[in-house]
Amino acid sequence: MNFLKRGLLGITRKKGKSLILLAVIFVLGNLISGATAIQQATVNVETNIKERMGALATIQYDYEELDQLSEEEWMEIEWQNIGPDLIEQVGELSYVKYYDYNMTNYLGSNSIESYQGDVEEVVHHIGPSMDFYMKGINYAPVLDFEEGKGQLVDGRVFTEEEVKNGSSVAIISKKLADRNNLQVGDNFTLVNEVYFWDYETGEEEIVASRDVVLEIIGLFESLTLNEDMEMDDGFIDWMDLDYQNTIYVPNAIVINETEFYYEEYIKADKEYAESIAGEAIDYEYYEPMFVLNSPEDSEAFAEEVKPLLPQYYTVISATDQYDNIAGPVESMSNLSKYVLIAAAIATILIIGLVVLLFLRDRKRELGIYLSLGESRGKVIGQILIEVMVVAFVGITLSLFSGNMMAGSISESMMKVDDQDYYHDYMYYGFNNDITTEDVIDAYEVTFDSTYILVFYGIGLLTILLSTIIPLVYIVRLNPKKILME
Amino acid sequence: MILEARDLNYYYQDGDMRRYILKDTSVSFEKGKFYTILGQSGSGKTTLLSLLSALDSPHSGTILFNDQDIKQIGYENYRRNHVGIIFQSYNLIPTFTAVENVLIPMSITENEVPEDQKTVAYNLLDYIGIVKSKADRTVNKLSGGEQQRVAIARALATNVELIVADEPTGNLDEEMEQEIIDIFKRLAHEHNKCVIVVTHSNEIALQSDQSFLLRKGVLTANE
Repeated sequence: MNFLKRGLLGITRKKGKSLILLAVIFVLGNLISGATAIQQATVNVETNIKERMGALATIQYDYEELDQLSEEEWMEIEWQNIGPDLIEQVGELSYVKYYDYNMTNYLGSNSIESYQGDVEEVVHHIGPSMDFYMKGINYAPVLDFEEGKGQLVDGRVFTEEEVKNGSSVAIISKKLADRNNLQVGDNFTLVNEVYFWDYETGEEEIVASRDVVLEIIGLFESLTLNEDMEMDDGFIDWMDLDYQNTIYVPNAIVINETEFYYEEYIKADKEYAESIAGEAIDYEYYEPMFVLNSPEDSEAFAEEVKPLLPQYYTVISATDQYDNIAGPVESMSNLSKYVLIAAAIATILIIGLVVLLFLRDRKRELGIYLSLGESRGKVIGQILIEVMVVAFVGITLSLFSGNMMAGSISESMMKVDDQDYYHDYMYYGFNNDITTEDVIDAYEVTFDSTYILVFYGIGLLTILLSTIIPLVYIVRLNPKKILME
Repeated sequence: MILEARDLNYYYQDGDMRRYILKDTSVSFEKGKFYTILGQSGSGKTTLLSLLSALDSPHSGTILFNDQDIKQIGYENYRRNHVGIIFQSYNLIPTFTAVENVLIPMSITENEVPEDQKTVAYNLLDYIGIVKSKADRTVNKLSGGEQQRVAIARALATNVELIVADEPTGNLDEEMEQEIIDIFKRLAHEHNKCVIVVTHSNEIALQSDQSFLLRKGVLTANE
């Protein structure tokens, strides 16, 4: 009849009290269980959505900070570009899996036509349109392909040598190639034309022009838009036009063409040339893109990078958007957090009080154990077993009911909150196609091992804490006073 | 000598005054004898017993068990392994059966107890007059006399040499009282135990091998 057996016998011999304790724990356990289930679901949805958003980060102007500036302050800003040195320094951080930085420009062509989807109308331009988006790259395997924006379907990606030397090679979309009967190995020509608007004559004229001949080394297809999207093909094409007309080239090509454009333009626009006389002109403006090891690294990465940046720059992560679109889930998360804290405190107080009242009734019994030489530790152990076994049963029962309750509550709350949060947010940064609706769809109260473990952990720990006050009572018991009164 | 108390002092502090319950009390006990300590209500006999059973500690003085200070043995250890205590109000666990009550100290003591504890417990109960059918009842379904027998069996369960009892027959009728006293005499004389009983009954005192009188905190031999 050791203390373990006495504890178990105590439960069955005092059925009434055990049932009361069970009922109290069950009720409170439902609150804890429900709140835990919602917490778990919100954590899961955050992880899930952030995974979908990707582990991308970039450095760009902090538009929110710039918006706060007065006109005078704007005038005083010395604009600085983010140079390759800083990008490479950031790229070496341990959070970064790989990175790229891109210089971009739009060029036109007299020899090839841009891809216009299923639109039959021919859009007429004066001279070539600037339909082709030249995207310079520094990361030879092409970051967009690695990150699933597009995939190479023919040919190859760049070599390190080509990137370094600024070779005249390009990767274009298969749709653009098909439209112009181009294949891997063919050359095509873009044209870099410099326009000048003459205010006196009111006419626009081409003041300089040069051809940019590129060899096609690879063809890609877009993976940006899902085929299962509920839109007709024409609309999908229209949304994707920019990407279909993107031409990947080494950064040096874009830099050369940008430099040519500005130098020629300055020659044509005397007024502008005078206004910038003596100033060093930096033609290089890069948009860096860092692929992090995990979306969870975003915050730490941003914290480490921000001190390295010039004023008015900030780090933007793909996952930043989460806070803007996760309104309903965030409010559920906050509510469940408060409920969890309140339930835990209530449990500690109520169970503590109930156990203490029961122990007062059993003061003589406890005194008897002590008079027989039982250690206070084992007497405490006996009480803990009695409480924890009942708690385990109560918690197990509430595990299921609390989970079901959490599911129902979440469903109704999501419907209400959806109305408030669904639309209209202002967001500077990555624009992906994940919306509040996706967040709500991803939200699911599950019954998985993590939930079970977390709930048992929180539940049993709370009950354990609630027995501290009664246990102090046992430690202070004096068997002589109890038994010889 | 199994138990010896030397110069025990025990008092209550009442402002600046000390109200002595025991003053320089010394007494010794031997194995194989049945002792009684007589005294009026409030004379301090229960306090003396609580000191001898290590339920409380004296303000000064020492208690030696087999020539070793019980403080050194450790009060909890002493109660667990060396003394069996019987109370006036039995102090059994009401939700447990008689045999379960006897089994409790067997799992607590560090003394050697036979492996088949349940059989030993039934035999002990049988020895002091509780048959098996009653041994399996919860103790609150037994009479006062039967409950006191269970309490005695519990005190004997750990095979201790010293039994102390506080007014063990206080709640019993005369016939039952005599049966309990006979058990104590048997334990002392046939099983070589030292039995110390605190009582206010002269009839019980007359049946003991030696009787002490406690009056105003002073213990004297009762001739």
